[in-house]
Amino acid sequence: MLDPALLLQTALSGILLGAVYALLAGGLNLVFGVMRIINVAHADLMMLGAYNTFWLFSLAGVNPLLGLLAGLPVMFALGWVLQRFLVSRVVRSSELTSLLLTFGISIVLVNLALYLWTGDYRSVAYLSGSVVVGGMALSKVRLLGFAVALAITTAVFLFLRWNPWGRAIRATAQHPDLALACGIDVDRVRLGTFGLAAALAGAAGSLISMMYSIYPEMGAFFLLKAFAIIILGGRGSFPGAFIGAVILGLIESFAALWTTATHAEAAAYVMLILMLLLKPSGLLGEEE
Amino acid sequence: MGMVARSRMGLGRLAAAGAVVLAMGVLGLGAPRDAAAQQKTPIKVGASLSLTGQLSRSGVEQEHGYKLWEQEVNARGGLLGRPVELVLYDDKSDPATGAKLYEKLITVDKVDLLEGPYSSPVTKAASAITEKYRFPMLSTGGSARDIFERGFRYIFQVATPSEYYMVGAVEIGAKHGAKTMVVVSENTVFTQECAKGAQEHGKKLGIQTLHYEEYSRGVTDLAPLILKSKQLKPDMFIACTYGPEAILFTRQMKDLDFSPKLFGFSVGVALPDYAKGLGQDAEAVFGSSQWEPGARLPGAKEFAEKFRKAFNFEPSYHAAQGYVGGLLMEKAVNETKSLDKEKIRDYLAKLDTVTLYGRYKVNDKGLQIGKPAYLIQVQDGRRAIVWPDDAAEAKYIYPFPGWKK
Amino acid sequence: MTGLRALGLAAVLAALLLPAGAPAYLVTFSLQLFMYVVLAGSWNIVSGFTGYTSFGHVAFFGIGAYTAAILITRLGMAWPLAALAGGAMALVLGLPVGAICLRLKGPYFAIAMLGFAESLRLLATLWTSLTKGGTGITLPPIQTLVPTYYAMLACVAAVVGVNYRIATSSFGLRLLSIREDERGAEAIGINTTRHKIAAFALSTIFPGIVGGLYAQYISYVDPSSIFLTLITVQTIIMTILGGAGTVLGPVLGATTISVVQEVLWARFPHIHQGLLGVLIIGVILFLPGGVVEVFKEWRLLPRVRSI
Repeated sequence: MLDPALLLQTALSGILLGAVYALLAGGLNLVFGVMRIINVAHADLMMLGAYNTFWLFSLAGVNPLLGLLAGLPVMFALGWVLQRFLVSRVVRSSELTSLLLTFGISIVLVNLALYLWTGDYRSVAYLSGSVVVGGMALSKVRLLGFAVALAITTAVFLFLRWNPWGRAIRATAQHPDLALACGIDVDRVRLGTFGLAAALAGAAGSLISMMYSIYPEMGAFFLLKAFAIIILGGRGSFPGAFIGAVILGLIESFAALWTTATHAEAAAYVMLILMLLLKPSGLLGEEE
Repeated sequence: MGMVARSRMGLGRLAAAGAVVLAMGVLGLGAPRDAAAQQKTPIKVGASLSLTGQLSRSGVEQEHGYKLWEQEVNARGGLLGRPVELVLYDDKSDPATGAKLYEKLITVDKVDLLEGPYSSPVTKAASAITEKYRFPMLSTGGSARDIFERGFRYIFQVATPSEYYMVGAVEIGAKHGAKTMVVVSENTVFTQECAKGAQEHGKKLGIQTLHYEEYSRGVTDLAPLILKSKQLKPDMFIACTYGPEAILFTRQMKDLDFSPKLFGFSVGVALPDYAKGLGQDAEAVFGSSQWEPGARLPGAKEFAEKFRKAFNFEPSYHAAQGYVGGLLMEKAVNETKSLDKEKIRDYLAKLDTVTLYGRYKVNDKGLQIGKPAYLIQVQDGRRAIVWPDDAAEAKYIYPFPGWKK
Repeated sequence: MTGLRALGLAAVLAALLLPAGAPAYLVTFSLQLFMYVVLAGSWNIVSGFTGYTSFGHVAFFGIGAYTAAILITRLGMAWPLAALAGGAMALVLGLPVGAICLRLKGPYFAIAMLGFAESLRLLATLWTSLTKGGTGITLPPIQTLVPTYYAMLACVAAVVGVNYRIATSSFGLRLLSIREDERGAEAIGINTTRHKIAAFALSTIFPGIVGGLYAQYISYVDPSSIFLTLITVQTIIMTILGGAGTVLGPVLGATTISVVQEVLWARFPHIHQGLLGVLIIGVILFLPGGVVEVFKEWRLLPRVRSI
């Protein structure tokens, strides 16, 4: 079990997967930070992105990467609409109210998908097999997913750091009232943030559609992972989500290698709870 | 707007809403489903199914099976000269809801006959209710053995028990001299029983289980599991899975170039989604199936034809299960010439017959002992039954020819 | 308001006499309704009053169910005692977890509790010698629902009573102050940690007891059906819809959702879940404080803390 090739392969497996999780968790983190809302419907937005890519691929033969790009504005618009007409109404209410709202949205999205597209398991059979590097087989589709997720995450990170709108988002996340006082249109920022988060979720969905089966309730499993990652990586930190995701991937992979797959799932939760006890703000998060 | 004015307007709104809810409550709560005005009172056949929830993929198909039977039996003149009407509910794949709904079907809707739900946990919960009311029910969607280990007299299994699902694969492996196998399973009751059955059968035929491991539903990376299995170089790899994991296993096995001479999955390969989603990666993979459209059974082809025409997609065994549940109940009613629960119960307990789905014969606990679980293999993008020999449509391909580039 | 008192009294009488005259299905329906009232009411004790939203409420339900199942099948314990043991076990396991997790704020607490519930599900799956793992524990089926019905009703009375005591006491006021502004509460000298833990501890007992009753009622427990996140989700929806932090909120919320679901799935078997989601969104937008708060605003209910 300590065969270096096996260990390296396992580590890579974890890292590759982590990037896709990171994309999903990043959007969730943004919404947390800016609007203090736990968006339970986030993974269902991911599901919509996955279906979007799937239908483009199977009905029109559109390359899933193009499908991902095409999905970005669509998902952004959807997020924008949800924020504008639903979420904005409860942003200033209690945490519980907004939570209930996102539960409602989640139920509607899942059942809408079930009604429109049935529960049949779909997948985008775009890429399969692996590249062999140094005796290790690296899944092509996971490599692609990693590369794309990394690219998008980096782009968003740079956007948040250097672009005026990105900085406005960070400012609003840090202190909405002060941001307002500085002349930032906080409502607009919220619209943009929710839209961006939805677009990121959709992108994650597009990548996931190439690796897993797509069905309406698929979001549930990924949402749990996204939650865990935010804790590990740190609230409000976009790069933190990426690191948290990679760490989660590594933990899961090694735990699965050394114990069993069921134990591996538990390992993630144990790590989560440990992190919460030792450094609740996460690895890169700011202290409250 | 002043506070008082707003209150009054709000009060009006509220009163309206309240009246609506109250009306809905009075009309809807506990109200039996409306029967369309009929010349003769219809015979009501009730069931709850997983129409939403994690298991809806199979539940909805089983529902189609029930519906097709309803259409046909009415075209044949109904039962005992009366039209048949299905009363169906959605249990959301939740056992407690299922139990509640069966109680509703029996006591409120006062159905005459019952059909089973989908999945073992829901069947278990529902059968406790039907046993209490001494109402015979055909378990069309529950295959776990322990449903039938409780000494119940009113539940009868239509499908093959889960422990036999992969026996065909083990048989073929043994025939070709396999000596070792790795078995993996999801950590829930149906798949665990399936895995246990495969391992025990293997032991009988001299095949040693090198490694057994369980995973959780929704697992996102099977690579460590596959790598471990690959290192052991087993002759056979048996995975007791549900649909999405069968697809994930196949993909990742290809990625990691794990290609044992024989491997198969318990659930998943029989769904059209499998071959459609994997394309040529699905070739030569074995799977378990309760039934296939090409099975050499009386009426199988006709059923598949009718189903395709009615619903515009290819039936898998979940649909056939539902349909045959209806057929068997129909037979029981026609042979006993009554709706008497005890007579039907006794009839189903003793019945030994062959339908388009396979043989039906239960033991004294209600467990199905006549029907084998077929082994299928994907050949040229289509599923073919390859075992047992007397049901086989095609010769199986062995060993696994390797992953195509 | 005597009208309201009369209504309340009528409801209590109806609940007490139900099994005598009502059809069996109504007894089953009410039994499951009571279970959710208890779940919602107990979630209310911690999350409604202190504002610490827990996503792991089903953990205590599951502990109770498994404890009772194990005690009944292995030691032949009588089910009422087993259910109480379930509640005790939930308290014993929940207390240290609560003490640790309540150090976290807002969404972190929610996720930590979710992690706790999921960990228990996995523990139940892995500890096969105790819980029989994924295969689950089968209990002897019960012949009559009536005793279970009354046991559930008793739990409802208990949970509503506890909520009432909290709501009308200074303890409850202090909990509410934690919800509104925890730092402010600390600033005026309230030991927020002790208060939070006390509320949390109280909230674990009742789900444990009804979990034990449920195990005996459904006669089968397995990790996935018992530690089901959907149960937590439904509980949360019911409480918030009815009005978190109020006494009648969980009761009204649970009743409304149960009745609406009943009606919806009879008429619309395929899309009832989706309609429920639409309903929830509608309620949030138009009745944001929850039904009880809105009723109070429209003066249909007295604006007192006892309701």
